[in-house]
Amino acid sequence: MSFRGTDFQYFRQGKHKWALLFALTFFSAVFSINSSYAVPFQDTAGIKVNGKVTDLEEGAPLAGVSVQNMRTRRGTVTNAAGNYSIDAAIGDSIRFSFAGKLPKTVLYTGQASINIELTKSEGALGEVIITGFQNLDKKKFSGASASLKASEVKIDGLPDVSKMLEGRVAGVSIQNVSSTFGAAPKIRIRGATSINGENKPLWVVDGVVLEDLVNISNDQLSSGDPTTLLGSSVAGINVNDIESFDILKDAAATALYGARAMNGVVVITTKKGRAGRHVISYTGNFSTQFKPLYTDYNIMNSVQQMSVLSELDRKGWLTTNILSSGDYGVYGKYYDLVNTVQPDGSFAIANTPEAKRDYLLRYAKANTDWFDILFRQSFVQEHSLSISSGTDKLQSFFSTSFYNDNGWTVADNVKRYTLNFRNNYNISDKLNVGFLTTASYRQQQAPGTVSRNANVVTGGFERDFDINPFSFALNTNRTLTAYDDQGQRENFTRNFAPFNILTELENNRIKLNVIDLKLQGEASYKFTKQLRYEFIGAIRYVRSTQEHEVTENSNMANAYRAASTAEIRRNNRFLYQDPENPSAEKVVVLPYGGFYNRQEDQLLNFDVRNSLNYVNTFAEKHDVNLLLGQQLKYSDRQRFNNTGYGYQYDNGGVATPDFRILKQNIEQNFPYYGMTKLYDRFAAFYFNAQYTYNSKYNLYATVRYDGSNQLGSSRTARWLPTWSFGGAWNVNDENFMKNIKWINYLKLRASYGLTASLGPATNSNIILRNQNIHRPFASDIETIIYIANLANTELTWEKNYTTNIGVDFGFLNNRLSSSIDVYERNSFDLITLIKTSGIGGESLKAGNYADMTSHGAEILLSGKIIDKKTWGWKSTITAGYNETKITRAEYLPQIFDLVKAEGGNLKDYPVNGLFSIRYSGLDPNSGIPQFLNEKGEVSPAVYMQSDSVKNLKFEGSVDPKLTGGFNNTFTYKAFSLNIFVTFQAGNKIRLYPAFKNSYSEWDATPKEFYDRWLMPGDQRTSNVPSIMDYYYAVLTNNATSAYPYNNYNYSTERVAKGDFIRLKTVSLSYQLPETFIKKSGFLKTTALSVAVINPWLIYSDKKLQGQDPEFFNAGGVAQPLQRQITLSLKAGL
Amino acid sequence: MKTTALYLFICISLMMAGCKKYLEKEPDNRAKLTDPKKVSQLLASAYPLGSYMAFNEAMSDNAGDKGTGTIDPTNRDPYYFETVSNSDQDSPDNYWFACYNAIAACNEALQACNSAPDPENYQDQKGEALVARAYAHFMLVTLYSKPYNPTTSSSDPGIPYVTEPETTVIKLYDRKTVAYVYEQIEKDLLEGLPLITDDSYTVPRYHFNEAAANAFAARFYLYKKDYAKAVQYASTSIPVFLPNLRPWNTTYIATGINNLPAEYQKTTEPANLLLVTCVSIYNYGLNYATYRYALTTTIKDEILNTSIAVTGGAWALDLGTFVGSQKNPAIPKLNYTDFALANPTANYGLPYGTISLFTTEEVLFNKAEANAYLGNYDAAIADLNTYMSTRLLNVTPGNLPAGNTITQSKVTAHYGNSLNVQDALVRYILELKRAEFIHEGMRWFDVLRYSIPISHDLIGSGDVVTGTITIGPDDKLRLLKLPDQVKLSGINDLNR
Repeated sequence: MSFRGTDFQYFRQGKHKWALLFALTFFSAVFSINSSYAVPFQDTAGIKVNGKVTDLEEGAPLAGVSVQNMRTRRGTVTNAAGNYSIDAAIGDSIRFSFAGKLPKTVLYTGQASINIELTKSEGALGEVIITGFQNLDKKKFSGASASLKASEVKIDGLPDVSKMLEGRVAGVSIQNVSSTFGAAPKIRIRGATSINGENKPLWVVDGVVLEDLVNISNDQLSSGDPTTLLGSSVAGINVNDIESFDILKDAAATALYGARAMNGVVVITTKKGRAGRHVISYTGNFSTQFKPLYTDYNIMNSVQQMSVLSELDRKGWLTTNILSSGDYGVYGKYYDLVNTVQPDGSFAIANTPEAKRDYLLRYAKANTDWFDILFRQSFVQEHSLSISSGTDKLQSFFSTSFYNDNGWTVADNVKRYTLNFRNNYNISDKLNVGFLTTASYRQQQAPGTVSRNANVVTGGFERDFDINPFSFALNTNRTLTAYDDQGQRENFTRNFAPFNILTELENNRIKLNVIDLKLQGEASYKFTKQLRYEFIGAIRYVRSTQEHEVTENSNMANAYRAASTAEIRRNNRFLYQDPENPSAEKVVVLPYGGFYNRQEDQLLNFDVRNSLNYVNTFAEKHDVNLLLGQQLKYSDRQRFNNTGYGYQYDNGGVATPDFRILKQNIEQNFPYYGMTKLYDRFAAFYFNAQYTYNSKYNLYATVRYDGSNQLGSSRTARWLPTWSFGGAWNVNDENFMKNIKWINYLKLRASYGLTASLGPATNSNIILRNQNIHRPFASDIETIIYIANLANTELTWEKNYTTNIGVDFGFLNNRLSSSIDVYERNSFDLITLIKTSGIGGESLKAGNYADMTSHGAEILLSGKIIDKKTWGWKSTITAGYNETKITRAEYLPQIFDLVKAEGGNLKDYPVNGLFSIRYSGLDPNSGIPQFLNEKGEVSPAVYMQSDSVKNLKFEGSVDPKLTGGFNNTFTYKAFSLNIFVTFQAGNKIRLYPAFKNSYSEWDATPKEFYDRWLMPGDQRTSNVPSIMDYYYAVLTNNATSAYPYNNYNYSTERVAKGDFIRLKTVSLSYQLPETFIKKSGFLKTTALSVAVINPWLIYSDKKLQGQDPEFFNAGGVAQPLQRQITLSLKAGL
Repeated sequence: MKTTALYLFICISLMMAGCKKYLEKEPDNRAKLTDPKKVSQLLASAYPLGSYMAFNEAMSDNAGDKGTGTIDPTNRDPYYFETVSNSDQDSPDNYWFACYNAIAACNEALQACNSAPDPENYQDQKGEALVARAYAHFMLVTLYSKPYNPTTSSSDPGIPYVTEPETTVIKLYDRKTVAYVYEQIEKDLLEGLPLITDDSYTVPRYHFNEAAANAFAARFYLYKKDYAKAVQYASTSIPVFLPNLRPWNTTYIATGINNLPAEYQKTTEPANLLLVTCVSIYNYGLNYATYRYALTTTIKDEILNTSIAVTGGAWALDLGTFVGSQKNPAIPKLNYTDFALANPTANYGLPYGTISLFTTEEVLFNKAEANAYLGNYDAAIADLNTYMSTRLLNVTPGNLPAGNTITQSKVTAHYGNSLNVQDALVRYILELKRAEFIHEGMRWFDVLRYSIPISHDLIGSGDVVTGTITIGPDDKLRLLKLPDQVKLSGINDLNR
């Protein structure tokens, strides 16, 4: 926010000129006692010099440039149009300085006007840090932060800004767990700070915290549930509107966010209007995404798969019994056809071995390419138009954009519209106001899906009716076909009902509509030149509607109607059993129609901030900047969901629910609708002081006092003070450094402070909740209140102390610049579950009973390797290293908590540590895998709910220790080639859970199955378990309830390294020649570029066999990273 | 400048004052106990949502080793008198926590009753809370401490008696003595009992209604050996037994074994004085009969055939049901239809069972036992005859034929005339009670009270006895082990 540039008004209007001059004189008289530049006399009879200051790179006028006559020590600043006027005498030196630009000093020799172009100062020290509260000169700043220009990190064709920061900032790790539009990546600034709480950074847009519509937990992020589509709040921002990013990393940098800053802050600053001519820019991106290929994945072809199926057949899995399981494919269909009598009296298939062979041969040869059937070469277009213009009194920026992705799969598509309108008014010399309106609307379609459920019995996740095209293609074997011999869609059976994936995707879909509106007002009032009042206030309203449409033709609806035989009626779990009559047959309760399920989320958010800022320089040497402020925040969230039964999509939209389906749900305590509300109230007071002595020694201190209602209504827990301080020493300004020419700048920094975050516990007072208590008969059900959590009067915020030491330097005329930071962080009072005696009534409580430490280092190295007039090569490497360790945690997790793909938390290990069950060979008689179980015995059975975890093997952290990027830009005349590589290392990944106790005819098996145990003796050469014999499975299941194959999925055999090097983007851009542009008559600038995104995973662990190390294949709405090529056109009018 | 500063100061002070109210908003729609109705809703969770049946039954002499069958730690470990290794449903630890959860709800409710501006409107709630608090403590002291004995109870360790909400993560507690716990129970019970009224409940059979509260008082005083009071409260609880006994030899026989389990724990069954529905694999009646350490045919015959000898005739209880195999005899009384799916389309979920915490039958037996100690043998025998008229096949309830009627001489003869009338009668009452409550865990309470020795055979392959676990009258293994975590609250005597 800038309200500078109004001082010029004093001069032009002339009225206050003398008053101001008097003030200046007064201050210089009072504070010049120690100044070596003390002026012996005042010369007020100079000549007025006028001029204009412009930005060399952008050609736009620069407002707020400080213009100073070095002799008289008097100064002014440029106005919004970049104009200034200053008194000068011939021979005077006039100095122009602006944060982020190289200062320039010009000798006045009597020119009529002095027009100046300021160029950006190279190297990190010239930049401005935008914290959202203040704009600070990086030279004076002692915190750890990184500033990025949007134009430098933007990846054309990616609509979501959160995905662009990968590899750009040292210490910021970004994992793209799903590339579906709207899904948030997993972002960590300097690793995890909390064990059970949030670890995601705070997003701030134009000074206002961007609240999430729904809070998505760490684990949910990678769940593939439909809610994850709302995970990324920044998905509604038009990338072309962004000016810059500032990533605040340590306590000093984030201090003004106080008790919410523990995980770091990402500040987004959007573009503003500039005084001067109209600048109209258009950007068009045209992309296409490539279909995935089977060669990239580890899946058997149909011939290999058929051999696995015939083994399943031999081992007794594919008898006619499969007809009563409800899910069957090729074999089940065979049994059906053998029993089907055709009109002429013959059977559809003769019951002979030859007929069976012929029948199976067709499917063995099918080699269905599901990727080809379910995916398509998409076409993505993005158009963005912006107009910037303004005068001294008013600057305006307008932009609009349209994004349209027709879908990578046959089941998804996205449209997004954005609007951004920003006006700044200079109402008087003292008063500035600004208004900002942003709006975005998103329309998205996704494959129909329901939330996944953790099955604690088997220790796995399950999702009913999963039709995500990507996981369908990976999990469905290639003997099944989508079309029959005649080219008609071929059905197989799922949940006792006919199933064809294409038909299902047409009849089962989620429609998502998100509308996001923000109105922001800003004002500043100058009491005096030094003292300024600032106001910022914003209201934001977000509403999303998620409609899950399941038509009457879908398998999901037909499963509720499959009741053709007594066998099916007994086995179909979607039929209704009357509890009053347990011996009666089950009945259909969805006779007509399908489902219309609706979920709505709303967020209403207010944020108001008032502050007073005092800036002054005393005696030329003492720079003081004080900030005192107050903030109030308010968010109300609401979630509503409703299940509509019996909606007839093809029949005029008539709803025909059967009362019994409601009865069934109510008896089971599943109300068919629900609504919850969340209230967030927040208030804070803050004070910040900065002091610089002689522009060499800088001190910085912040105190903040936060209050929140999130801990519950107890008064003691509500408030929390946080603080930080830091110092910086600009070594290159010392006299002894003056002679070392090759060092351009050198700065040492250190900071220390306390930041905090709200943990996942809200019970400073007792939490009582309502529920309908479970009773066997609906007439006995009561709404009751139960104690969800006892009061914990000791409850407090999660906190940490961070120490940061850093150095910034630029060598060799700034051709080499670097920034290095090391830090140590002690997190304490983290919320964890703790077992208690239970005598108070809660045996497992959440309390501030965990601590952790983390430390790390970050380096940014940037160099101009070749810097010639026509060609150049610029290279930047960022790398961040982070290690965490839980030093105190009272809670002992269960085995399943630790072995799951997301990792678990155990004392003395890193946060999100991945553990494995120790594999100890295959059983020589059956080929069933064996493990060292919780009791230390070798057994196929491991009790996943045991809290005896000492026999597990620690594999490593799920979060990478090392992350970074390597960016190279080659320029030759008007061409520019950018090659960007990202990398991460030091983490472990759980492989895709491919093994099961039993396989259905649907399952696709990985190629490892080639090497599976087939006969005794194979255990010496193979670690791939056998396919279990049906009879054996029945026997062992009854005796031990063991899940050896599931255990195998979580064993030491199924872990890979997460290290990878990825060629993230390659882009080539070409600036059209001046001559061409001039010919057109209206174009100012035109550039063309081609970018390839994610073209090549250069290195990853071979054990992954194609599994993307970043992606969690969780089904639902999740999609992996796509390979994409984008053509981009930029034109300026 | 000065005035500006003043204005700012005023503004900020106002904001500070406003903040207090502003930050008092609860973060979500959690419940508040603002009126008596809400306190009543809270008291629906004042009953232990846990089952004691699995371990009680396995520890008692109702269980034997079948040699084969379903293995479950909550069945196997108690049979071996080992500590159940997990704290899942049906484990002793689970029951311990369930009781204290219920107590926490009572204490929270009592705090709301006492701090309300109009406490007179909270009398019904106060009554229920006090009685429920007494009940949960009573069950704990019965299972985790030595039985009440006027001479030793003042030094036997009790269980922590909690009377106020816990507000810190870890709080220290003290076991005190059995005598102290009994005093506290009696105090709460006597204060709460007069306040109980059936009118305050929407589903009275799931709350301490007047009959259930008095039934609890009868059980309490019987265990405390205050027999006159036991009789008094039993009579208040059920003034007339006959219409309130389970209609085994009429309606139940007609219902059939497949539908009877669903009928057995219904609120419409007058014999069920107090019900609770909780997660329990045992009470979700599919496994209890197939457990390896459970009722064997030998034990079933011993229980039913011995007790029937006094009256002659045939038990209506014994419908000859077996689950899965002839090795698994069962009385069809545990409902197997109550399975709560994790979500509307899941194929897994939680098994629920409904437990009758107090029944008319128990009141009848407690009254008869107390009457026997008071010397009122005829009164005791009259009640037992009423009971048997509903249990013998082909008998009209209330019209026990003379040939089947219990008399003092028949009872003493049952024990070879070696016992006096009182002792014989008490033993006979315990025998009938054991038969009535097969599978329901009630036998263990009598085993504790009368220090009945237990011997559990261990069966190897070929049905050979490979060992025997013997638990004498004073064996410390009779008492359950307190959960390990209670050490965190400063309790170090874990019984075992």
